[in-house]
Amino acid sequence: MKTLVALICVAAIPVIAAGQARTPDGHPDLQGTYDLATLTPLERPAGAKAALTAEEAAKFEKEVEARKQAAGQAISGDRSAPPKGGDGSTGPAGGVGGYNNFWLDPGSSFTVVNGERRTSLVIDPPDGKVPPLSAGARQRFAAARAAAPTSDTTESRDPGLEPPGSYDNPEQRPLGERCILGFGSTSGPPALPDYFYNNLHQIVQTPQYVMILTEMVHDARIIRMNSEHLPKTVRKWMGDSIGRWEGDTLVVDTTNFTDKTRFRGATQNLHVVERFTRVAPNALLYRFTVEDPDTWDRSWTGEYTWPATDANIYEYACHESNYALENILRGARRREADEAAQKK
Amino acid sequence: MSLMLIALLLGHHAFGSEFDPNRPILLKGKVVRVEWVNPHAWIHMEVTKPDGTKEVWMVEGGSPNSLLRRGVTKESLPPGTEIVVDGYQARDYTLKRANGRNVTYPDGRKLFLASSAPDAEK
Repeated sequence: MKTLVALICVAAIPVIAAGQARTPDGHPDLQGTYDLATLTPLERPAGAKAALTAEEAAKFEKEVEARKQAAGQAISGDRSAPPKGGDGSTGPAGGVGGYNNFWLDPGSSFTVVNGERRTSLVIDPPDGKVPPLSAGARQRFAAARAAAPTSDTTESRDPGLEPPGSYDNPEQRPLGERCILGFGSTSGPPALPDYFYNNLHQIVQTPQYVMILTEMVHDARIIRMNSEHLPKTVRKWMGDSIGRWEGDTLVVDTTNFTDKTRFRGATQNLHVVERFTRVAPNALLYRFTVEDPDTWDRSWTGEYTWPATDANIYEYACHESNYALENILRGARRREADEAAQKK
Repeated sequence: MSLMLIALLLGHHAFGSEFDPNRPILLKGKVVRVEWVNPHAWIHMEVTKPDGTKEVWMVEGGSPNSLLRRGVTKESLPPGTEIVVDGYQARDYTLKRANGRNVTYPDGRKLFLASSAPDAEK
């Protein structure tokens, strides 16, 4: 009789992939800490092919490493101050140059999926690009630019030169600057790599819930398994995530975003479907499909490998010592005071 | 393919709205203390002005988490360590704050890269 019971139990468990660790309820065990850092950008650079050969990837990875080594070289201890008017740096470095390379910990290799060294996370559309904004979205953006900037303005690409009103109060600053969500959708969904540092994510799994902790900026997303979405009146920074198993793949469906999150300009009607599959004892494949008919005329999909890591994930505690936000707002107040004094 | 590097530079807070490109500075002095905090670590350093008086400046760095993973801690930069900083002053110039565009030892070696051993630089 005991043998019979054992046989029945075994039959009830899904087919087990070789070496696949499982939780007591029989599902793949996706738990662990993963390092999402990669050289592969979200969108494929102009002129690049979809995948690199091993030689091409190695050459580029070597260049990146050489650049890192060069940035670590000693400079003159007797140097003078950098040039007045800015040091020529662009983007977020905004002419003032950011800070030393030794703080950074970006990816050092391309993501490998199905043996391919990918040049974009986006796999659909096949050109590796996020689809163009719909006509409606473009109109919405133009109207938003004409109005006062809001808290959900994405990180400035032209810092220091934002329109008047951008610095009127903390709630008009970008969510990352305010320590609410990580920059560049690190928390997701969809969870994208940060190309600076702190790319660790931890998955904790129970039969009822799956939790994904994002080191930067501290976000813990709790996914309810086999549940229904909350009423549409309940909105969350990272949306409302529910999960289910499709075979050995964890499928997470997220809706109910706020109108302030605005992933790449999307509305609160953003819908993200993520698929987590263990592809190796030390790696997951993460695939995401994004849709928002108010923003793009079609859905789009990306994927990349999440390699497991033994590294420690640390508390981020972002808000308590966020001098940067204070400095940005005080800088604007100082400018206003000086301009007012000049007019007198 | 060089375009890929552009992507690596995006996605951070607006340094240019915090610091003023028209106020470059060079600071030489001793570390007073280090705030090993997120989203940015801050190095406090005592600088002697030309008239002989001293003032304490705060210098912005990056997130300490990635350094911690490499074994670097705030003890790696003990009080009294001589450093040289070039960067730009905060837009509110009444604050003695700047970004640490380059933070080095007096001989020009970049911090932490020379050694992560706390005693090595004493």
